[in-house]
Amino acid sequence: MITLHRSTVPAAPVIKVIGLGGAGGSALDRLVLDGIEGVTVIALNTDVQALNGGVAPQKIQLGKTVTRGLGAGGDPEIGYQAAEEAADEIKGAVEGADMIFLCTGLGGGTGSGAAPLIAHMARGSGAMVVVFATMPFSFEGKRRRTQAAESLAQLEAQAHLVVCFENDRLGETAPHKAGVQDAFVAADQMLSHSIQAIASLVRRGGIIATGLDELSAALRRSQPRCLFGYGESDGANRAHEALARALKSPLMDKGKMLADCHSVVIHLAGGPDLTVQEITTLMDEFNKHIGDDTRIDFGLATDAKLGRRLCVTIISSTGAHEAAAEPAPAPVRVQRTPPRQAPAPAQPPKRTAAAPVPVAAKAPEFEPEEDAEEIQPAAKHEPAPVAAVKTSPPAQTYRKPATEKTAAAKKEEKAEQMTLEPANRGRFEKSEPTIVDGQDLDVPTFLRKNLKLK
Amino acid sequence: MAKDQIVVGLEIGTSKVCAISAELKRDGTIQILGVGEAPSRGVRKGEIVDIETCGKCIREALADAEEKSDVMIKNVYLGITGAHIQSYNNRCSFTLPEDRAKIDREDFARVQEAARTSPIPAQNMFVHTILQHYYVDGQDGILNPVGMHGRKLEADFHIVHGVATRIRNSIQCMIDLDIEIEDIVFTPYAAAQAVLDANQKTTGAITVDIGGGTTGYIVYAGGAVKQSGVIGIGGDHITNDLSLGLRIPMGKAERLKIDEGSCAIGGTIPGEAVVLKDEHGFAGREIEREMLNTIIHMRVRETFELLKRELDKGRYAEYAGAGMVLTGGSSALRGIHEVAEDIFQMPVQVCRAQNIAGVTSAFENPQYSTAIGLVKYAQATLDDESGGWLDWFKKWFR
Repeated sequence: MITLHRSTVPAAPVIKVIGLGGAGGSALDRLVLDGIEGVTVIALNTDVQALNGGVAPQKIQLGKTVTRGLGAGGDPEIGYQAAEEAADEIKGAVEGADMIFLCTGLGGGTGSGAAPLIAHMARGSGAMVVVFATMPFSFEGKRRRTQAAESLAQLEAQAHLVVCFENDRLGETAPHKAGVQDAFVAADQMLSHSIQAIASLVRRGGIIATGLDELSAALRRSQPRCLFGYGESDGANRAHEALARALKSPLMDKGKMLADCHSVVIHLAGGPDLTVQEITTLMDEFNKHIGDDTRIDFGLATDAKLGRRLCVTIISSTGAHEAAAEPAPAPVRVQRTPPRQAPAPAQPPKRTAAAPVPVAAKAPEFEPEEDAEEIQPAAKHEPAPVAAVKTSPPAQTYRKPATEKTAAAKKEEKAEQMTLEPANRGRFEKSEPTIVDGQDLDVPTFLRKNLKLK
Repeated sequence: MAKDQIVVGLEIGTSKVCAISAELKRDGTIQILGVGEAPSRGVRKGEIVDIETCGKCIREALADAEEKSDVMIKNVYLGITGAHIQSYNNRCSFTLPEDRAKIDREDFARVQEAARTSPIPAQNMFVHTILQHYYVDGQDGILNPVGMHGRKLEADFHIVHGVATRIRNSIQCMIDLDIEIEDIVFTPYAAAQAVLDANQKTTGAITVDIGGGTTGYIVYAGGAVKQSGVIGIGGDHITNDLSLGLRIPMGKAERLKIDEGSCAIGGTIPGEAVVLKDEHGFAGREIEREMLNTIIHMRVRETFELLKRELDKGRYAEYAGAGMVLTGGSSALRGIHEVAEDIFQMPVQVCRAQNIAGVTSAFENPQYSTAIGLVKYAQATLDDESGGWLDWFKKWFR
C-alpha cells in the first residue's frame, strides 16, 4: 500500500509575544497561565514592580535611567524615551522571529509611547508584526483617548495588522452586574484568546492551510485595523455555538460589522471527529452574515489535541469609511501631554469619578497628586504579587485573577468565558438565532433600537 | 368519500401541542369532535429541540384529544413549520407520447412527479408541491386540461421545501409514539385553509399565522398559492422582550402580555400602571402601561415590517384584494390589526376558522386555526383522491 504523507508547514514559524506596559503584561500573564505552546513570551515595562510581578519568562526593563524603575507616568514621551534606551535589548529579543505579537494597552505612558517604536523595531527584524491594542475606556478622559488614538495611528503605519479592542465595548458585553474586576479580566481573556487563536491559525497548517501569506494578503489590501472574532465549543451543537461565540466577540458587533467587509479569513480547527456536515452548517450560517461579494479565505485544520472542541477564528478588515475617521498619522514621537494622565493603562473608574472634569489649564494643579500616586506603587516593596493585589489600588487588582489562576483551573475559566456573551437573548439564549441584515432578532427590539425604558 | 371519516390534525407548536379530531361528513361539512391540548416543551421557534420532552407533550395532547372525542388516534395530519422552510414557484412540464394527443387524468400525476424533481438544496426535502395553473401547449388559463388536445402539459407549482433533518425530527416524534403520519402540512398553508374561503382565495388574500415561535405567511392570488414563508419570530419574542425589559419572570411576562398587553401606543393615561401582585417569592411590581405597550408595539411593528419586506419581494401582495387575515395565538393581541393596517396599507382582520361545526370553543379561538386547517387540508386531499363524493355518486347512477 502506498501511504501518502501529508506534509505540514515545513518549519513551524517562530512566534514571539511581547507584552508591553501594564495591560500588556496582564494579558501576557493570562497567556502564559493558559499554557500557550511554542511561543516565546517577553514582558516589557518601565515599572519594575509590575514587571517582576508578572510570570513571563523573559523580562526587559525599559528606561533604566529615564524612569528609574517607576512607571512612565502616563506620558508617552517618557515611554518613548524608555524604549529608545532599551533599544538594543529589544532588538536582541525580537531577532529571528517570523511573527511578533505585540500586545499593549494604549492611553498610558508606556503603551502609547513605546509601542510604535517597538513595532518599528520588530518590523525591522523582518518579522510580521501583529499588534493587539486596547483603547482606554471613555471615562478615562479625552486626553488619554487622544493619546491612544495618536499612538494607534502610528501603530497602523508600523504594524502589518492591528487588532484594536475598545475597552468600552468590552464593558458593554460583560454582564451588567459584573464587577469592574471581571470586566478587566474579560479584557485580558479577550486579548489572550485572540493571540492564541492567531498563533494557532498560523502555526497549525492543516488540511486547508491559512498561513501568514493568506492572512496578510487578505488584510493588507485595505487598512490594517481589523475585525476579529474567536469562539470555541464542545457541545452537541458545537458548529453553531462556536460560530455564535466568534460573532459575539466584542470586535464583531454580533456580526453586524461583517456585512461591509470585502474579504474575510475564517479558520476552523477541530479534533479528528470534525465532520463535513458540521463545516457545511457552520459556513452556511456564516455566509448569512457577509455580503455576496465578500471574498472568503477558508482555512481548516484538525488537531487531536483539541479533542471535542471546535474553534472558529474570523479575521477581517473594516470598511474604508472607518479609516477616514481615524486621526491622521502623527510623528513617531507622540506629543507630550500634561502629566495629569494616570500611569496605569487601565484606570479604575472610581478614581476618575472622583477627579474633576479634565481642563487643560488646571492640569498643573494635579501634578503633585499624580506624582504621589506615581511613587506609591514603587514605595511598596511587597514581593508576593497576591499581597500586592490586596493593598494596591483597583488598577492593579485587575491582575489578580490572572496571577492566582493555575493551569488546572481550566474548567473555571470556561465558565468565565461564558460571561463574555451578552445576556440579552433571554429564553432564546440556546436556540438558533434569527438573523436578518446582521441583526439578531432574538434580542429585544427595544434594545436594538436603543429605546430608553424608564 | 363513501362514508363519514374521522381525521386528526396535530400541530406541534412552540407554545402548545394541539390535536383536533374531526368528522368529515358526507355532505362536506366538518364536525369537530374534540380538542386535545398540552403546553409545549422542547420546541423553539416551531422546531423540535428536545425530542424526548416534546414526545411527552404530544402524547399528552393526543391522550387529551382521545378522551374528549372518544376516538382512538392512529394516524394524524402533522403540521410543520420553522424558519428553515422556503418556497418558490416553478413551472414543470410533461410532453405527451407521440401516439397520444389527448390529455388524460394520469398526466396530472406525471406533472406532479415532474414537480417533485424541481431543484432544491441537497439537504432539503419537499413539503408541498402546490398546483397553481395549467398550460396546454403554452395556452394560458386552462382550468381543467383533462380531455383537451395538446402535445405538452405544463403546470406552475408553488414548491415548499425545508431542511430534511429538521422535518424528520417531527416525524421521528410520531414514530416513537407509534402514530402514523398521513401527510405533513406546512402550517400557514393549513391555517389558510381554515380562515380563507374560496372567494377570498380567488380575490387574493394574505394569511398571516402568528404563533408562539414563528410567523408564517401565505399569499393567495387568483385562487392559487403564490408565495409563502416563515419568519422565526412570534409571540414568544414579545414575552421574552417583556421579561427582559421589565425584569420579570417569563411566566409573569406571558400572563401580563395576554391579560394586559396591547400593541396600540398612545392610548394610555400618563402614569397608568398595571399591578403585578406579589406571590411565591415574587415581589409585587407596578408596571407602567405605556412602557408595557411600547415594548410590545416595537416588536410587533418590527415583525410586520420584516414581513412586508418578504412580501414585497414576491409582489403578489399587491393583488390581495381581500386584504390580510391574521390568525394564530398571537393574533389575539389587542390592537394588532391596527398596527398591521398601518404597515401593510390594506384591510386587515383577525380571523378564526370558518365553516366548522362542533366544539364552539375550538373554532372561535384563532389559536386553533392551524389544527383545524389540518383537518380541512385532510378533507381536501381525501376528496381529491376519491374524486370527491359527488363524483362517486354520479358514477353510481351512470
